[in-house]
Amino acid sequence: MADQTLPIHGALDLTPPRESQHTLLDILHDWVITVDHKKLGLMYMMMAIFFLLVAGAEAICIRIQLAVPNNHFISPQTFNRLFTMHGTTMVFLVGMPLVFAWANYIVPLQIGARDMAFPRLNAFSFWLTFLGGIFLYYSFIGGPGLYGTGSAPDVTWWAYAPLTAKAFSPGHATDYWALALIVTGFGTIGGGINIMATVLSMRCKGMTLMRMPLFTWLMFVNGAFVLIVITPLTAAQVMLLIDRYLGGHFFDTQAGGSATVWMHFFWIFGHPEVYVLVFPAFAIASEVIQVFSRKAIFGYPAMVAAVVGIAFVSLGVWAHHMFTIGMTSAGNAFFVLSTSLVGIPTGIKIFNWLATMWGGKIRFATPMLFCTAFLFQFLCAGLTGIMLSVAPWDWQLHSSYFVIAHFHYVLVGAIVFNVFAGIYYWFPKATGRMMSETLGKWHFWLFFIGFHVTFDTMHFVGFEGMPRWIYTYPADRGWQHLNLVVSIGGVIQAIAVLLFAYNLIWSLFKGKIAGNDPWDAWTLEWATSSPPPIYNFATDPVVRSRRPLWDLKHPEDPDWKYD
Amino acid sequence: MSDQKNPGSHTETIHLPAPTAWPLVLAFGATLLFAGLVTSPWISVLGGILMISGAVGWFRQVLPHEVHEDIPVVVEEVALTTTRRQVEKIVIPEGDRAHLPLETYPIISGIKGGLAGGVAMIPPALLYGLIAQHSIWYPVNLLGGAGVANWRNPSTADIAAFHWQGLLVASAIHWTTCVLVGLLYGAMLPMLPRRPILLGGVIAPVLWTGLLHSVMGIVNPVLDEHIAWGWFLVSQVAYGVTAGLVVARQERIRTTQSLPFAMRVGLETPGLGHEHSDEGKH
Repeated sequence: MADQTLPIHGALDLTPPRESQHTLLDILHDWVITVDHKKLGLMYMMMAIFFLLVAGAEAICIRIQLAVPNNHFISPQTFNRLFTMHGTTMVFLVGMPLVFAWANYIVPLQIGARDMAFPRLNAFSFWLTFLGGIFLYYSFIGGPGLYGTGSAPDVTWWAYAPLTAKAFSPGHATDYWALALIVTGFGTIGGGINIMATVLSMRCKGMTLMRMPLFTWLMFVNGAFVLIVITPLTAAQVMLLIDRYLGGHFFDTQAGGSATVWMHFFWIFGHPEVYVLVFPAFAIASEVIQVFSRKAIFGYPAMVAAVVGIAFVSLGVWAHHMFTIGMTSAGNAFFVLSTSLVGIPTGIKIFNWLATMWGGKIRFATPMLFCTAFLFQFLCAGLTGIMLSVAPWDWQLHSSYFVIAHFHYVLVGAIVFNVFAGIYYWFPKATGRMMSETLGKWHFWLFFIGFHVTFDTMHFVGFEGMPRWIYTYPADRGWQHLNLVVSIGGVIQAIAVLLFAYNLIWSLFKGKIAGNDPWDAWTLEWATSSPPPIYNFATDPVVRSRRPLWDLKHPEDPDWKYD
Repeated sequence: MSDQKNPGSHTETIHLPAPTAWPLVLAFGATLLFAGLVTSPWISVLGGILMISGAVGWFRQVLPHEVHEDIPVVVEEVALTTTRRQVEKIVIPEGDRAHLPLETYPIISGIKGGLAGGVAMIPPALLYGLIAQHSIWYPVNLLGGAGVANWRNPSTADIAAFHWQGLLVASAIHWTTCVLVGLLYGAMLPMLPRRPILLGGVIAPVLWTGLLHSVMGIVNPVLDEHIAWGWFLVSQVAYGVTAGLVVARQERIRTTQSLPFAMRVGLETPGLGHEHSDEGKH
C-alpha cells in the first residue's frame, strides 16, 4: 500500500480547550446556550436516539401484547396510547430531529462554512422541537385524563376526524397531540429555512451547486420540502383546535363539515413526510456507498434530478392513502398513476447506487453493511408500495398488517438502517474516536435478522387479514404463530439497539483514536480535525470539483480535469 | 463572520456568533404558552412573559450590532493520507468498448418499428377473435376493458360486442405501448449480441408471454380466464419480429456518450473535442 501524505494548510486547530469547562455544570451550560451547528446537530441526534429508545420500548409493549391471542399484558386504553405515541414519536421526535441532526452537523462542514446561516434561529428551532417532545410526553402525567392514568393521545398518529371531535375524544389527550406537534412544527419550519439559506449563501469558493456533495443536495431539497409539507399539518391542527374549542365545524360531518377534509390535509402532509424522512437516508447512502466502493457516485446529475423529481411527484400522490373512502374512478386513476410515477426517479437512484458499487473495490465496514441492506430493503419497500398504489389491491389490504409491514420496511428498513450507517460513518468525525467494528457487525447482523423476522412475517399476517389497531385477537383466527414470530423479531431488534447504545457509549470513551480521515473519504468535513474546531476551518476552503479531498490526495489525477 | 490576523504572531482570531440562552428562553416561553391551554391559564401567562423576555433578549443580541466572540486559532498543517494504490492508466482503444455501442439507431427508428409492430399484431389478434368468438371486438375489449370504469364482470357476449369506450382505450393502450416498446428496441438492439432479431423478436416475446402467463392468474384472474395464450404469443412474436426488422433496416448513427455535455447539447465550443481527446490520454 502506497500511502501518500499531503498537507492542508491551516486546517488543524491546536487551540487549548477553554479553561472554564471543568465542571459538569460548566459543560452543561456550554451546551445549553450554544449556537454552534455541530453541538446543535449532536443535540438533535441525542434527542432522536433518546426518543428512538422510548418509541422502541412502546413498540415492544405493543408486540408483547400481540404475541399471543387473548392477551391482557396492557389495557386496551394503554394499547391505543402506545401505538399512537409510537407512531407520533417515530415520525416527529425521531425522524424529523434526525433530518436536522444530519443537516446541522454535516452540511456546513461539507460546504466549507463556519456555521449555519442563522445560528440563533438554529438553537431556537432545536429547543422548540425538543420542548415540543417533552410537552407531548408530559401528557402521560399531565392530568387525570380519560382513564385516570394521564392524557396521552390515543387517536393514532394521523388523528382522523371525527374521532378527534370533542364528543368522541373528551379530555385533553387530542389537544396534547395537536399542540405539541404545532410547537415542533414551528421548530421544523425554522430548521428548513436555515438549511436552505445556508446552502444557498454559505458555500465556499468554487463550490457551485453542481459541485455540492449529494448529501448536501438532498438536505437542501429537504429543507425546501419541509416548508411545503409541514404547513398543511399545522393549519389542520389549528382548525382542529378551533373545532374543539371555538365552535368551528371544519371536520364536523353533522354540522356541514367534512371528515375527508382532515384526511386530505393530513395526507398532503403525511405522504411527502415519508420522503422528508427518507431523504437523509438517501443522503447517507450517497456518501457511504461511494466511499466504501472507492468510486465516485454514478450519474451525479441524474441523482440530483431524481431527488428533485421525487420531491415534486410526491406532492401529488397523497390520496392513495384514501382509496377506500370511495373516490371517483378518475380520482383513483390519477393517484394510482401519480404514485406509480414516483417509482421512476426512485428507481434511478437505486440503479445509480448499484452502478456505483458495480466494479468498485467494496469494503464491507459496518456503515457499508447497513447501506447494502438498505438497498435491498428499500427496493422491497418500493415494490410493496407499487402494489399498494394499485387501487384494487389497496382495497383488499388497506388497514391490514400488510400496510404496516410496507411502511416499516421504509421507515426501519431504509431510514433506521441508514441512520445507523451514518452514525458509524460520522461518529469518528464528531468524537475523534472509532466505533467498535466488532460490536458494529454484531449490531448489524442482529438488527438485520430481527428486522426480517419481524417485518417479512408481518406481510403474511396482513395477507391473512389481520387488521391494524386491534388490541387482541381470538385464537381461532390463525394469526397466533405468525404474531409470535413477529414479536420475537422485535425483541431481537431491541437487543441489537441496546448493543448499539452500548457501543456508542463505550466507543465515546474507549474507542480507537480515529484521526481526521479514517475512511479515506473525499468531502470537506474530512479535511478538518476530528472533532472539528468550533470554527470548522481556520482558512476558507477552495474547491474545484465534487471531491475536493480526492483532488488533494491525488494531484496527479484530480477530478477537476474531468468536470 | 470574518478572519482577523493578530499582527506579529502566527495566530488568528475568528468571529463567531456568541452563545446565548435567549433562543431557549423564547422557545420555552412558546411551549408554555401552548401548554397553558391544557393545564392552567397561568402557565400561558408565564409563557407569554418568557416569550417577550426571550424576544427582547434576542433582539439585543443582534441589534444594533450582532454580538460575537473571538475564537483564537493556532494553525498547523493536517496530514492527509490515502490508502489508494498508485495505478498506471491504460489507454483503451475506442474499438474495445464492449458494453456501450459506438453506433445506435436514431429515436425515429424505434417509433417506426413500434408502429409497424403494432400494425403486425392486429391481424393475428383479430383472427383469433373471429375464429374463437366470431367477433373482431373480443380482443379489442379484452385490452380496453380495463379502462372502462363502469364495466363490471362482463359476460363473453359483452366482451364480443362493440363498445366505443373499449375501442378508444384499447387503441390508446395499444399504440402507446407499441411505441414505447419500439423505442426500447431501438435502444437495445445494437447492444444485443449476434442475432438481434432472434433475441429481440422471438425470445424476448416468448419470455414476456411466459412471465405474463405465470402472474396474470394472481394479478387479474378474470382476465386470465379470457386470454388464449397461444394466440397472444403469436401476436407478440409478430410484433417483435416486425419491429426488430424495421429498426434493423434503419441507418445507424454514432453515439455521443463519450462527448462532453456542452457538445451534446450543441453549444458552439470550438476546440472542445480536441481538448477532451488530449485529456483522455492522461
